Amino acid sequence: MSDRRLDLAATGPALFIILCIAAGLGVDSYSQYVIALAIVAILVGAALVVLVGLARCITLASGSIMALGAYASTLAVLDLGAPYLVSLLLALFAGAAAGWLIALPGTRFRGHNLAMVTLVFQSVCIILIRQSTWLTGGAEGIRVPSATVFGWTIVSDLGFLVLIGVLAAAMTLILTILLRGPFGKCLQAAANNEIAAEAFGVNVRGYLTAAFIVSSIAIAFAGALAAPRIRILDPDSFGILESIFLLAYPIVGGMQSVWGGLLGGGGLRILPELLRPVADYQELFYATLVIVIVMFFPGGLTELLRRGAALIGRSGRGRLSKAIAPGTPWSGTIPAVALPIPAPTPERAEKLLLVEAVDKHFDALHAVDAASLAVPVGAIHGLIGPNGAGKTSLFNIISGFLAADGGRIEFAGEPLLDLRARDRIRLGITRTFQNVAVFGQLSCLDNVIIGRGCNGVVEAMGASFDRFIAGAPTLQARREALAALDSAGLADQAQSLAGALSLGDQRRLELARAIVSSPKLILLDEPVSGVSEAEAEELRQLLLRINAERTIAMLVVEHNIPFVARLCRTLSVMGAGRVVAEGKPAEVIALPTVRQLYFGEEGPA
Amino acid sequence: MLAELGPVLIAGIKFGAIYALAALGLVVVHKATKTVNFAHGAFAMLGAFASFLIVVRWQWPYWAAYLLIPPAIGLVAAAIEFLILRRLRRADMFTVVIATVFLGIALAEGFRLTYNTELLAVPSPFAGAPFVVGGVYITRDTLWVITGALLAAVGCVILFRRGKLGRGMRAMASNIRGAQLCGYSIDHIYMLAWFLGGVLAGLAGVFIAPVTGVSVDLSIAVITAGFVAGVIGGFDSPRGAILGGLLLGIAESLSAAYVSSAMKNCISFLLLFVVLMWRPQGLFPERTARSV
Amino acid sequence: MIALRVTGLMVTYGPVVAVRDLDLTIEAGEALALLGPNGAGKTSAVEAVAGLLPKRRGKVEFLGEDISALSASAIVRRGLALVPQWRELFRNFTVEETLLAATTAAVGREPIPLDSIYDLFPVLQERRLQVAGSLSGGEQQMLAIGRALVTNPKLLLLDEPSAGLASGIARTLIQTITRIRQSNVAILLVEQNMEIARAIGERCCMLAAGRLAWQGSMQEATERNEAVRVYFGEH
Repeated sequence: MSDRRLDLAATGPALFIILCIAAGLGVDSYSQYVIALAIVAILVGAALVVLVGLARCITLASGSIMALGAYASTLAVLDLGAPYLVSLLLALFAGAAAGWLIALPGTRFRGHNLAMVTLVFQSVCIILIRQSTWLTGGAEGIRVPSATVFGWTIVSDLGFLVLIGVLAAAMTLILTILLRGPFGKCLQAAANNEIAAEAFGVNVRGYLTAAFIVSSIAIAFAGALAAPRIRILDPDSFGILESIFLLAYPIVGGMQSVWGGLLGGGGLRILPELLRPVADYQELFYATLVIVIVMFFPGGLTELLRRGAALIGRSGRGRLSKAIAPGTPWSGTIPAVALPIPAPTPERAEKLLLVEAVDKHFDALHAVDAASLAVPVGAIHGLIGPNGAGKTSLFNIISGFLAADGGRIEFAGEPLLDLRARDRIRLGITRTFQNVAVFGQLSCLDNVIIGRGCNGVVEAMGASFDRFIAGAPTLQARREALAALDSAGLADQAQSLAGALSLGDQRRLELARAIVSSPKLILLDEPVSGVSEAEAEELRQLLLRINAERTIAMLVVEHNIPFVARLCRTLSVMGAGRVVAEGKPAEVIALPTVRQLYFGEEGPA
Repeated sequence: MLAELGPVLIAGIKFGAIYALAALGLVVVHKATKTVNFAHGAFAMLGAFASFLIVVRWQWPYWAAYLLIPPAIGLVAAAIEFLILRRLRRADMFTVVIATVFLGIALAEGFRLTYNTELLAVPSPFAGAPFVVGGVYITRDTLWVITGALLAAVGCVILFRRGKLGRGMRAMASNIRGAQLCGYSIDHIYMLAWFLGGVLAGLAGVFIAPVTGVSVDLSIAVITAGFVAGVIGGFDSPRGAILGGLLLGIAESLSAAYVSSAMKNCISFLLLFVVLMWRPQGLFPERTARSV
Repeated sequence: MIALRVTGLMVTYGPVVAVRDLDLTIEAGEALALLGPNGAGKTSAVEAVAGLLPKRRGKVEFLGEDISALSASAIVRRGLALVPQWRELFRNFTVEETLLAATTAAVGREPIPLDSIYDLFPVLQERRLQVAGSLSGGEQQMLAIGRALVTNPKLLLLDEPSAGLASGIARTLIQTITRIRQSNVAILLVEQNMEIARAIGERCCMLAAGRLAWQGSMQEATERNEAVRVYFGEH
């Protein structure tokens, strides 16, 4: 029964659109026209939630992409004699091409430079449309022929409402499925925690490109749907001002879920109609309203509704937020199949990780100076040293986030230095982060599922559809993720939002995410920084257990020396870029050279 | 050939000087506060409109426009920083973009509602015979716009770079924490930056009013040109803003003359694109010392 | 007379608790050393006192006035200056301009003439017109301290002034700070370099994992080898 409820949540937005069609059955034709255009706006809003909300990419090109879809479809019917439905396919291609084109330079930039790139696309596109009179009718525009579907020519507003509504609902459903499935999750991870995402196999640029392409396809589709009803296409109605108004849809509606697109798109599109009584003051009201909403309701209208629902009552909140909440995680239970627990193996002599004479310069600073260390299979090895000793640089080189200037690193016999960070998970290396880098907007379960590493763009898209049909993440993914959460002591938090956890629990979550792919080596970056002594002790026990149960080697960088001494079997000490000592913790810490490193020339009395 | 090129370049420099002022206003605000004020064009439009009121409606002397309007718009801008932007200091970039964009729209609408005509004409400050330089005609007001706007822009950059006023803004632009530790208050500096941005926008408006007339389109045209010029020049570089503005004006004029008037915007945008891809820091960025 | 009284200070970054329930006091003219391993919360504590970081809980009183809710610029204007860990200089400002910038904080009080700063750091006078970004590490540190001194502080917070500098700098820093103390400026010194800490600090507080692990006189700390215990655990 819980499975069926999830399906419903995903179809929610699409069903809402169908409801709008139903609502339009009994009203006059002008209202039907308004509803139809509102539905088109809803589709654009949903598409922009994917791009602006999830991928956090600003775009000023939406107007031109709608134009491309509208013109492509119209020209296909006019010049190629294609049937309407086929022409829609051409609009989809036009959108995909536009999205890809914008993403080529676009994914290199963020912020205002990205806005500029999209502005260039928008302006050049419209100018070209306006200039190509031979093709597009230029500034005069072209008449859009009536849409004929399966021999039935659509002329009435009701007909348009049904046609637009059904097709928009279908596309919205696809967007919702993608948004709520692994594709949407990985996209959010990529946009919010680039480094952590790459560490777990998420190709950030690939996902951002896909976000551009997917949203552009939907926006172009919306343009093509609206075209026959608008009847006359002229380039100026798709100008920069239009792009700005479209950009407002997700921001006013709420950027985290499709419902934001619905509320923002539908609401803002209908607003002018509601403001008709004030006629001339329409635009002023509109603009002021947008400003007020963004100033006082940073989460948009969906946030406003959520707060309102919370005030109304618990049951209201439950249902409403379940429907509105972004990608509500699957809420059923499944017994976690515990992986077989091997007896703790004695340390083997073979070296899992071999770091030899690694060098790194930052201008004049010799950050890492011919550093070498070795981590045997199944070992727990520590790396300590005062500030500026080079531990972090060496650590980042090993995890793939910093290029080395010299030396070599071997992992299980494979050379590691030339491998991209996101490919290291496949070899069996995962990591945690000093500033805990969980994907805050996702549930714990989703965090760990991403940790599995099967995060290719196309793979994730396919998995999104699987998830929709099954009503939940795939059985295997769920099992493995829950087992990992269980190992970390977080089984009961599977549905909680990662961002809401305490720091200690977030560190456990990072561990669960790091072990779910059954790696051979985990790189731990200051795993107890900022936690209380009690939590540090719990984490220490957890690490020891994980190491024993799953034979996972660990390399731990830490400042908390008592912690490291009780966790690691061997230690390397770094100072001024070099490894100055290596051996068992008790021995190493007592060395005068090490004491000097921390306390200066005279050392403590 | 020179006789042909001359007027084109002059026209380019004239618009370029105005773009320089517009870009400078944007850059100053962004440098100090890290936000782009998309209502900047609307401020310029208000300045142009105020110019119409002073010169045409109320028949005051022209110099009153140049003297009174920039600080007035500056005050409006500072008030907006205080009332609206201060609340949005912790908001994400999208929210600030939308807020300032729609603020610009609201202001433009406000103007349109007050004065329902399409275009308001404003006379030039100088009438009289044009000058002839090297066989090229330069009208008096063209010369005024070029010298006046450029002088104002350069003067502003000098003030920014040398003066005590600019020091706080530059310090905050360079290192917010360091600036606070010197005693500079974020609230004061941000409001000052917006004031200065408003002054520059108002001034640009007064210069542009006789050239293009006053209309709602002005608000979009100025922000677009200012933004593009700023990025081309280097968005955190005041001198880049001036040079970028001039470059944009000249490029537009050349394309309008030798390609087509319709394509001139296209070419400007392509120029912008090339700069973004090849030198994203801009063509004339601030020279920064490398830290040791 | 108490220069600084911190009560129940708690500093958080999201879910991270950097400083937990910290109490400390500094008398006028006194020098307190704040010690502890990395990640212990020392920098978070001093930056919260100086107003650069928001405080989750706690009260900070400076010269009898409650400054808990004040902004960093307001705090420095009252005579509490911080030389932050990463110096936070203005890369393109000349030495002279950097010092001039700080005169803003001394407005309304007795301004410190730049000459006295140059007197303390002759090398800065040599490099008056050089931009901060082109100075050596040691010179930058001097500039950062000089900038804080221009604000005429009654209490000077120094966050790891020897960090990242060559080992010979210890002597110079000790001399400099000793001279500063002669003007009856109280000092809160965060340091990992024990030599400097022992030479300057009269009392010391040791932080570990955000909490106060030990406090007492510097002499006591040295005799009882507290540092080793706090840094390395019981060994």
